[in-house]
Amino acid sequence: MNHPRPKLLSVGTSNPPNRYTQKDILDLFRVANPTVRAMFAASHIEGRHLVIPEADAEGVPHEDQEALLRKHRIWALRLAKEAIDKALSPEGLTTADIDYLCCITSTGFMLPGLTAMFIKHLGFRVDCHRTDVVGMGCNAGLNGLNPTANWCAANPGRNALMICCEVNSALYVYDDEITTGVVNSLFGDGCAAVLLRAEEGEATSLQPQIVDFYSHIIPDAWGAMRYDWTSSHGKFSFYLDRDVPYVLGIHAETPVDGLLSRNNLKRRDIDHWIIHSGGKKVIDAIKYNIGITEHDVRHTVNILRHFGNLGSGSFLFSYQRLMDEGKVHSGDRGVMMTMGPGSTIETALLQW
Amino acid sequence: MYQTIRYEETGQIARITLVQSHINMEMVRELTAVCDHLEDTSACKVVVIEGENGRFCEGIDFAEFRPDQPMDIHGFNKWEKISARIERLPKAIIALLHGPAKGGGAQLALVADAVVASSSATIQFDEVHHGFLPGMATFRLAKVVGLGHAKRLIMQCPILDADEALRLGIVTVVSDDLESALSDTIDAFGPIHNVAVTLARRLLNESFSTEFENAIGNFLAAQHRAIHQTPFLETIKKYQNE
Repeated sequence: MNHPRPKLLSVGTSNPPNRYTQKDILDLFRVANPTVRAMFAASHIEGRHLVIPEADAEGVPHEDQEALLRKHRIWALRLAKEAIDKALSPEGLTTADIDYLCCITSTGFMLPGLTAMFIKHLGFRVDCHRTDVVGMGCNAGLNGLNPTANWCAANPGRNALMICCEVNSALYVYDDEITTGVVNSLFGDGCAAVLLRAEEGEATSLQPQIVDFYSHIIPDAWGAMRYDWTSSHGKFSFYLDRDVPYVLGIHAETPVDGLLSRNNLKRRDIDHWIIHSGGKKVIDAIKYNIGITEHDVRHTVNILRHFGNLGSGSFLFSYQRLMDEGKVHSGDRGVMMTMGPGSTIETALLQW
Repeated sequence: MYQTIRYEETGQIARITLVQSHINMEMVRELTAVCDHLEDTSACKVVVIEGENGRFCEGIDFAEFRPDQPMDIHGFNKWEKISARIERLPKAIIALLHGPAKGGGAQLALVADAVVASSSATIQFDEVHHGFLPGMATFRLAKVVGLGHAKRLIMQCPILDADEALRLGIVTVVSDDLESALSDTIDAFGPIHNVAVTLARRLLNESFSTEFENAIGNFLAAQHRAIHQTPFLETIKKYQNE
């Protein structure tokens, strides 16, 4: 029996309205540490959309953990609404047409999760199937896409929606330390929603089929990216080891070649690389370890430059840029690749 | 098995002989098949590209064009793709020049890591005199010879003899004992660690068009890859055992 393959039908993205340059952030938080200031300057990021409150009596913005969780909840809903509308309108669908909902976030913990909140507020049906992927970090978009695509394959003709919703400004800890400086110089707020459905017929130049997934985890680098509770701040704080780009780089070949070889493909058969905008060093490491060009990572680099690292949804922003560019042809193949805590590298194979 | 080229592989050395004097689409297809083999299955470390019958390669075959039909840019794109692929092979690439290398032939010599030439070798980028362009030699040549010389070579189309090409840096060595010069050149490349060779070449090729702030990140990523390969680990072990 010939099972119809799941397709990516359309994608929508959103960001909060306020955009900050790196200098804006340094000035707003009165960061004096020259190492941190240099880190911001060397980030290859021009600006990021963030949700930052007004300065308090001491002249800098301040939010306790309770305020951060509230911010995550409020902005996740606002950003998701906009991204969902943009993803559904090209197909003439509404949230009531969605049969399976997968929400991904690592920037705020809530119970019930995002799917329940979106059903309550955004018009999804109460019999909508759902999955919340929480705390898997920047790679989580593909960890969510895998079960979403499988659900579609098992339920041809029915609509699934995956939403990567990251309010990274809700995990910021501002002090003068280098550890928080790295994190604060990198992440931006944004949400991406993608509509999937399995249906008969070939892939087209506009709607690729999802062919396969391949995962790789590096247990030796278990602690390289993690949340730590910092009592001094009364907040969770994200820790990012400085060797992360190199560790990810050196392991990148394994899942890529695993994915390609079991589909009888070579790296040269891949026309489009849709890679998570993890940071400049991460992108460089991937580029030189799997032998792809600056052109191959143009969207990845551009998303980083204009939005920062958007966490789990970053790769969908790059995917959207690729589709908007209008250079994809029927028959092309693409690899999606996301990297994050675990340490994890997730890959997926697309066929247009 | 090939019509336009001959391919031989002996030990660590692969030799591609251009048996046809001009470049046509069939040659591009056959070079592509050779590159598939070199990337996927061949364990050779050196690729030698040469001509025969007293010439290296005389450029594009105008017989493939029809004045009464629409001009097709895609063939030129295919030529650039195969040139870039040869340039990026994980092997040391040596062009062996005897007699004329003209047009596309001169372009091909330019993507090699070393050019070994006999005194009868000549190099000419003659495209502009024929009303078209010398491919991505427009991008590569100035890096090798400087912008002033590149303008002269591409716009005035002089025929360079081997010695002048040597002075300009297009040719690496001139000798009338080509085989022994080739053998010396291969020896000079030393052990040819594929990853180190490929990464070093890539960084050098990117050097003129990358800002320092980007290049340093590229270098660190490449260096990290290099120092995790077997050859560097063996270098360290050997040092420690001494």
